[in-house]
Amino acid sequence: MKTLQKKLLLFLLIFPIGMFAQNTLKGVVLEGKTQQPLPSVTIAIEGTNTMTATDFDGNFTLSNLKKGQKITFSFIGFTSQTLVYENQSSVTIRMVEDLQELKDVVVIGYGTVKKKDATGTVDLITSKDFNDGPVLSPQQLISGKVAGVSISSNGGSPGEGSNINIRGVGSLSLTSQPLFVIDGVPIDGGVGGSRNPLNLINPSDIESMSVLKDASATAIYGSRGANGVIVITTKKGKNKEFKYTFNSSTTLYDVVNRVDVMSADQLRDVIALDSNYDDTTSGLLGTANTDWQNEIYRKAFGRNHDFSATGNAWGVPMRASLSYTNHDGILRTDNFDRTTAALSFSPSFLNDALKVEVNAKGNYEENQFANRGAIGSAAVFDPTQSVFDANSPFGGYFAWIDASTNQQVSLAPTNPVALLNLTNDTSEVRRFLGNVKADYNLPFFKDVTATVNVAFDKSNSHGRNITSDLIPTSDPTWNGSRFAYANNSTNKLFDAYFSYVGSFSDKHNLTAVVGHSYQSFEYDNYSYNSENEEDGLEYEFIDKSKNVLLSYFGRVNYDFNKRYLFTATLRADASSKLNPEDRWGYFPSVALAWNVMEESFMKNVKMNNLKLRVGYGEVGNVNGLGDYKFLTRYTGSTQTAQYQFGSANGLPSFYQTYRPDAVNKDLKWEIGQSLNVGLDFGFWNNRLNGSVNAYVRRSKDLIANSTVDPFTNFSNQIERNIGDMENRGIEFALNLTPIKTDNFEWNINYNIAFNHNEVIKLPDNQPVGGISTGVGNNVQMHAEGEQPYSFFVYKQIYDANGMPIEGAFADLNGDNQINDSDKYFYNDPFADILMGINTDFRYKNWDMAIISRVSLGNYIYNDVKASKGILDLAVPSTNNYITNLHTDYLTSGFTTISDVTALSDHFIEDGSFFKIDNISIGYTAKQISKGVDARFYGSVQNVAVFTNFSGIDPEIPSGIDNNFYPRPRSFMFGVNFNF
Amino acid sequence: MKNIFITLTTALTLLFSVTSCHSDLDQSPIDPDSFTEEDVFANATEAKSALAKVYASLALTGQNGPAGQPDLGNIDEGFSQFSRMLFNLNELTTDNAVVAWGDAGLQDLHGMYWTASNDFTDAMYNRLAQTVSFSNSFIENAERLNDPVVTQYIAEARFIRAYAYYNLIDMYGNVPLVTRIETTLPMQSTRAEIFNFIEAELLDIQNDLAASGANEYGRVDRVASWALLSRLYLNAEVWTGTARYNDCITFSNNVMTSTYALHTADLNANGTAYDELFLADNGSNGAQNEFIFALNFDGLNSQTYGGSTFLVHAAVGGSMSPNDFGVNGGWGGLRTTSALVGKMGANDKRAMFYSNGQTLEIANIRRFTDGYAVTKFKNVTSTGQRGRDASGNFVDTDVPLIRLSEIYLNYAEATLRGGNGSLTEALNRINQIRARAYGNTTGNIASSALTLSFVLDERARELFWEGQRRTDLVRYNYFTTNTYLWPFKGNAPSGAAVGNFRNLFPIPSNTLQVNSNLTQNPGY
Repeated sequence: MKTLQKKLLLFLLIFPIGMFAQNTLKGVVLEGKTQQPLPSVTIAIEGTNTMTATDFDGNFTLSNLKKGQKITFSFIGFTSQTLVYENQSSVTIRMVEDLQELKDVVVIGYGTVKKKDATGTVDLITSKDFNDGPVLSPQQLISGKVAGVSISSNGGSPGEGSNINIRGVGSLSLTSQPLFVIDGVPIDGGVGGSRNPLNLINPSDIESMSVLKDASATAIYGSRGANGVIVITTKKGKNKEFKYTFNSSTTLYDVVNRVDVMSADQLRDVIALDSNYDDTTSGLLGTANTDWQNEIYRKAFGRNHDFSATGNAWGVPMRASLSYTNHDGILRTDNFDRTTAALSFSPSFLNDALKVEVNAKGNYEENQFANRGAIGSAAVFDPTQSVFDANSPFGGYFAWIDASTNQQVSLAPTNPVALLNLTNDTSEVRRFLGNVKADYNLPFFKDVTATVNVAFDKSNSHGRNITSDLIPTSDPTWNGSRFAYANNSTNKLFDAYFSYVGSFSDKHNLTAVVGHSYQSFEYDNYSYNSENEEDGLEYEFIDKSKNVLLSYFGRVNYDFNKRYLFTATLRADASSKLNPEDRWGYFPSVALAWNVMEESFMKNVKMNNLKLRVGYGEVGNVNGLGDYKFLTRYTGSTQTAQYQFGSANGLPSFYQTYRPDAVNKDLKWEIGQSLNVGLDFGFWNNRLNGSVNAYVRRSKDLIANSTVDPFTNFSNQIERNIGDMENRGIEFALNLTPIKTDNFEWNINYNIAFNHNEVIKLPDNQPVGGISTGVGNNVQMHAEGEQPYSFFVYKQIYDANGMPIEGAFADLNGDNQINDSDKYFYNDPFADILMGINTDFRYKNWDMAIISRVSLGNYIYNDVKASKGILDLAVPSTNNYITNLHTDYLTSGFTTISDVTALSDHFIEDGSFFKIDNISIGYTAKQISKGVDARFYGSVQNVAVFTNFSGIDPEIPSGIDNNFYPRPRSFMFGVNFNF
Repeated sequence: MKNIFITLTTALTLLFSVTSCHSDLDQSPIDPDSFTEEDVFANATEAKSALAKVYASLALTGQNGPAGQPDLGNIDEGFSQFSRMLFNLNELTTDNAVVAWGDAGLQDLHGMYWTASNDFTDAMYNRLAQTVSFSNSFIENAERLNDPVVTQYIAEARFIRAYAYYNLIDMYGNVPLVTRIETTLPMQSTRAEIFNFIEAELLDIQNDLAASGANEYGRVDRVASWALLSRLYLNAEVWTGTARYNDCITFSNNVMTSTYALHTADLNANGTAYDELFLADNGSNGAQNEFIFALNFDGLNSQTYGGSTFLVHAAVGGSMSPNDFGVNGGWGGLRTTSALVGKMGANDKRAMFYSNGQTLEIANIRRFTDGYAVTKFKNVTSTGQRGRDASGNFVDTDVPLIRLSEIYLNYAEATLRGGNGSLTEALNRINQIRARAYGNTTGNIASSALTLSFVLDERARELFWEGQRRTDLVRYNYFTTNTYLWPFKGNAPSGAAVGNFRNLFPIPSNTLQVNSNLTQNPGY
């Protein structure tokens, strides 16, 4: 029946064509490679307003054509083709996929722009340039690829999140992390029970990541743009025959480095000479030789499988993907298990006037978190003891027993193997992110498109941390414990905006966007504590909050003859976190660019691109600030913090207490003002291209938890807008393709960034960077005139042999005593220079890539050394257990645990490094079976580190090396089928 | 048609969204543990929970117990507990105590080399000022309630505020006098001005407070205002230059004739009733009859890492058995010096020291076994049971801040300093204290022995580790001078004098940075 209708329709169509053959053209558009019909290709005829599109079978018919008229066929992702009408009656058009075009369009927030028309500093990394290797976290895809963007994983655990700084650190107490926008939906920070907020996405579903670095680019995101924006675009369906990809890989992880602690024999020797050593001590020493770090780490395996299908279902372009990831961590019992699914449809209606995009992503994550306390415990646990002790009441695990109580000595470290095996910390995270976006080209105003984007991001996690009744403890009533939690967070987005695209007299091109955005974030957390339940106390807790962000925004892009480009944006944001008087913030930006290549005088210059850019913008930051901070609130106490007033029936009567909380009615946005000057260039068919950018960013009214006169508030510290900071730097990026032939291609990518951060205003110094020696001891300080997080320490005095003299420090203020006033600022944890050096080769079917990074001038406080290399730790004052020492003791000879000694600059080391992150090799086999291409690949991650830093890894985001989860070296092998 | 429909829908949706969500910006807390001022001061019952916070600000450290939602920033939460800091500043700085730990700024205290940014002197200032703020807020809001019960609550909050100010001028001298919730930066008042304020407040509230012994345990009655006046007047000469010994005697007398009585029933039959003042059930074993103002702790319901949990755990180490103290382990920190040990008579049962494996003299202050350990505070009841927290983490023992025997000693000292008291009465009261300490009258003294220096030593014997030693030494001008030296005073093994500016602690340098109206104490 359907066929009959079609034939009838065809007949009716062909009949008139036959009659007026002289000015009617019929034809079909095919996808160049597969020769499959391509529907919805836009067809425009020069000199008319006629626009049409190919039908489901790729067919089209045009009538009333005049000889010499130009007909343009265009389709997103393909190179446009123009046909001159020469009275032909039929034609077949073959569209060729345009890889370049994808690369040329950058997503800039509420729209896209061609790279050559962009005025802001935006780096676009597409999937073909993503880092290879066992990448579980989307952040790692672009590590080392973008100048001025430092991306460091938070540790070596699988699926771990990353610390990202774009152009230095821009905040003192709020987050310095960039905003992530996934398919138009800005997402909020963490998800309870998950290792990484971006675990929602399987990295292989990502099409591109745009990094918006300067304020003229991020101002459209207003109050959230201050730390840069990373816009993630996922892969979408293409309007053609279904294609399938299957990818599978296996990874082997191995520990590279361990903390340098003493062997059993070394420790026995040291203790024999210890002044605290006596007969009691000798009774404590064991005869075993246990390498505790060996006991807690392992070789670990991981596997990834993913499958995707892209094509056209029921006339609708769609893509579906499914992935499964299961990786063990090198710390025993650590495991990350994730399933993701993504589905996208891009239907269009009303002759393409209404385009709809539906994206749905979901993940289900199961985590088994190894007890990371084992890392610190393994470093200090006495190597003369064996793991097991047949007489131990604690499940046979060796423990330091207090003879009087027959329980573990209360301050002794706990057997690390017991920590791993007798605690069970697991979570399941479910997350869904869905959005529906509709672009409607208004019928009466063809140049105007109305867009509505509605999104819903919901996560739900459940977790529990169960400690066995067998774990070594000093508590005689211990019978095991269970802490459980459930976190729900809901993020709703509604965006509506109008876009206008128009040109006048062929020279003036104008695009404009104006719109409105509403986003709400809701959290509802529940927790349970079995210990409280046993004690008859309140054991269930609920924690809820909500905040709303409301915005209006607008942007105008104007260019004259593609030569002079102008962009202005304005965003107004209001957050419920701020009081009604201060809640609106206005974030403007303006940028100019000059496409020098478009000038007539450049006609004979052998360049492909030369563009000068200058941009200024103001952006805000209120991310990470708690809700309702401006309201006078009272917090009720839990049942363990009640107060007794009198008794009833012989039992004390306890009252819940209400505390007025610290309040600041005047909190407002942090403001980042930034100026960027840039130059883009390209030579030699763009085989040599690059850019240079110089920037100054001044962040004002930074919120810091700062001192307040305690008589004027309900605490000694409140969050206030008090600080100013400046980041300035220069970035240089270069891409070079020295060789490009059919068989051999070689690309080099190099980027270098110089950055300097400085606190330029801060009324009171802010100690930060807690260390493990001494409770409340800080090694870093925010202070005016210094870099943020600068180390603030005593200057060590060394003897003639260059050995540090314990407790001897330079009397810097010359008052003949050593105290706080003798501390000085000594370096900071941020790199002065960052480089990415990447190269890839392709020879026939072989490809190879090397990714490496250099970081210079990042300093690290070696807390491991400072806290574990002191003799008195070996036999504590209570003389009832022994701990192991860091081998640094053998050179420093430090004997006394002291807050002052720990703050010596001796423990601050230069963490500069050169890291070869990744080497990967692949081989592509075409047509291994009919219609099936295969790629086999292998890679080594964390290949080599060159550094003078004495700890296990010089890349420590906080600058304080303390029980860091070591990043493993990994070996991956995988295979990829396309069919 | 369809197009128009879509256009209209789009326009309407936009309009709807814009108008509907502006009101959404006014979010109010949805957390079940978060309250507004209206909730808290809705009636006298709710206000009592706000009053509980005014008291608890001296006993606990935050709203989650033992830690979490801390009251103060910039300091470890456990360190920020008032009586723990009182111990650190008033006992650890003296001959009564040393500590083995190396936390930032802690060794500076006994060594007497603290600076203007010492964590403990900072945090104590902040804690006391915060208590003033909590009290001010309570007083201001509760005044609206117009309820006789609330009038008594307000008087109690004013007592707590006066007690905070008493400590502020004792430790810091000139501080701001703030009695309302104000965000404008306050000016600095003189020590004498604040002295007058405390005096006026205590005199003014005495009749609003409950009659002697008529209030619930843990809440103060009018005897507390008299006892604090007794203490205030005793120190008047040092703090204001004007001696007030007669007033001290008047108010000491008021206290001594109130319903409060020395606890003398030796329930655990160990020869003295003194030790029962510091046991887990001291809120109910009879000792409470001697407590004019005490901080209430409970191992389950009032948990903190300060308070008595600190005093018990921190004092256990070496070969001491944690079980004997009703806790699950020692923190191996606190001991005392030979100066205190040497003050105890042979049969004085207040000599609660542990010497097995401990040396009397200290060679290394950082080693727990150097110096005798102190067994005064225990989490064991008078019947030998462990406190309520069976796991042995948190301690029930209440910490007395003002108890009757101190008032006896105040009376004796004021009389000896020329006040119009009776020396016979003074001797009688001192001998009551000593008879309890010895379990019999063998320790009683003759009138000839009752001298000022005897009283000071008796205060050490009776009140050691209860947070008064530094104030006493300052009053005798012993604290910084070389008249009296003790081991490691001034960071010298046999003791050394330090600058007399150390009779006061520094105002936190951070606070000075944000309030330019304040002047630092001289010497810092």
